[in-house]
Amino acid sequence: MLDWLDAFLITGLFEVVLIIGLGLLLHLQLGLARVANFGVVGFFGIGMYVFGILYVRVDWPFGDPWQFLVCAAAATLVAGLAGLVVGWLIADLDTDGVLVGTLGFASAVAIVAITEDELTGGAFGLGGLDFPYDFGRVKENEFLWLVITALVVAAILTYAWRVHRSPYGRLLIAVGGNEPLARSLGKSTFRTKLWLFAVTSAAMGLLGAMDGVMLRYLDVGHIGVGITLAAMVGLVLGGTARVWGAVVGVVLTVGLFDIVVRTYLPLPTEWYRQAIPVAREALFGLTLMLVLLLRPLGLLGDMRRDRLMRKLHGR
Amino acid sequence: MELISQSLVIGLTENAPLVLAAIGFALLYRLTGLINVAYAETITLGAYFGMWVNTTYGLDFYAVLIPTALLAGALSVATYLAIFRPAKRRGVGVLEMIIISFGLSIFLRHGLQFVFGYPERFYDVPPPDTIFVLGVGVTSFRLLALVSVAVLSVLLYWFIRRSRLGLQIRALASDEALAQVSGIRPLAVTILIWFIAGIAGGLAGAFYGVGASVSPLLGWRQFLLILMVTLVGGSWGLGGVIAVGVGTGVALAAMALQFDQVLYAQLVLIIAFIAVLKVRGTRLTETAKV
Repeated sequence: MLDWLDAFLITGLFEVVLIIGLGLLLHLQLGLARVANFGVVGFFGIGMYVFGILYVRVDWPFGDPWQFLVCAAAATLVAGLAGLVVGWLIADLDTDGVLVGTLGFASAVAIVAITEDELTGGAFGLGGLDFPYDFGRVKENEFLWLVITALVVAAILTYAWRVHRSPYGRLLIAVGGNEPLARSLGKSTFRTKLWLFAVTSAAMGLLGAMDGVMLRYLDVGHIGVGITLAAMVGLVLGGTARVWGAVVGVVLTVGLFDIVVRTYLPLPTEWYRQAIPVAREALFGLTLMLVLLLRPLGLLGDMRRDRLMRKLHGR
Repeated sequence: MELISQSLVIGLTENAPLVLAAIGFALLYRLTGLINVAYAETITLGAYFGMWVNTTYGLDFYAVLIPTALLAGALSVATYLAIFRPAKRRGVGVLEMIIISFGLSIFLRHGLQFVFGYPERFYDVPPPDTIFVLGVGVTSFRLLALVSVAVLSVLLYWFIRRSRLGLQIRALASDEALAQVSGIRPLAVTILIWFIAGIAGGLAGAFYGVGASVSPLLGWRQFLLILMVTLVGGSWGLGGVIAVGVGTGVALAAMALQFDQVLYAQLVLIIAFIAVLKVRGTRLTETAKV
């Protein structure tokens, strides 16, 4: 049925959609509340592994799709709780403390994934994951999973768009702009950051679980710093302050490498093993630097004021 | 008793490069206010520079240390002049500076693989002598690392606290405008800070590299510990960084011996350090200068 569709294109598109989701969540943390989460992959990874462990190790009395739904819900919940704990630890720290807290959490998740090998499979990995349905062919299964993940990311985009136009969104912007001032006006900045971290981390965990299904085999190589980098570079390139920033930026970065280069460029096969992935990360790093040096607001520029704000400011 | 002596010897000798790297990082952090994530790559490139000089020119490990230190110092200064100075002049904020340094770190970590190759590399050195200290066998390279850290720590402490240039560095860190009015040249002094930090990071990388292998993730694997040692120990100045670094090294060794698993020891330390930062809260940054 999908013979016209390249298998690499499906995985490439899935990668783009997934990173857009993470970029949108990072936009709420970094772009609005100015909380620099360098441990995105930690929340993503905890969701992925909790889902994988529950799906593979637990003998459920029911099969898919219920098995998937229960495991994904548990993964989302655990990632949200982790977000709550990390949020509590870092909410009143400065940028340096936030860096340590979020990087430390991502390292802790990676360490547990390696050392608790009876549960996680350790360095050998954890197999046995599968799609919660079966069309008989891998390509059809993957394509439907891409569509489902795209719907989840569309829901995240809608949530981010609504946050921008809500009192909660304006509170986040106030916290990011001048936290002491927001606190002096009676706003609970600590609780605001805590809630933000819990909700966005839970969604990151859900995306981790969904990636686990697509991968069908988990190993610690999937929870490297590259995930955080891809989300951050996409968001910064598009514009941290704009809802569509992550979408535009991730399409131009991850899309360029994971779809255009991997699927369409006639490069020697051996380049794809090391040269292309290494060049991808190096160029992402370079892009991050250059954008912040030359165009700090990204391609889309500063935040657009909504109708209420324009009316209040008379423009 | 045996555990204590083993932890002390292993912790001090194996983790001496951690202390050296933390001193360099702390200098940058406390004196310029920048959390430079790319410092991880100064360490990594120090290891690569040493390996390259060693395998290309056939110099022994001890002779390699001088060019390694100079190259790492030059790299550190180059990153300041090419990236961080222009960023500061453009008024880039603290958060964005950290993200820029994160981007630089990733760029260097992956870019170096096109220069030095993808596989792990090794120093071409004869097997080191083993010396027994309190009944624990230690290689001569590890002992050299410990001695180097001790000597460099004393020298740096003296330099910062007692020398004229050290006074200029501290003046610049306290109030740049006032320092400038007093005749201090900020650019020269800042370059000096970056150069010293680069030397410390590069030497730490060489000691890490000769003890095991040289790979692109060498510095990044140590970065979190270095950052935490600096943030926690930095409150008591350079001496605090050295003390917390030594304590961390010994604690890592003790827990690794107890758990039989180095990663668990790192996990415990990560939790402990974050707990300390949480308890101290936002009072941290303003508490002390080096």
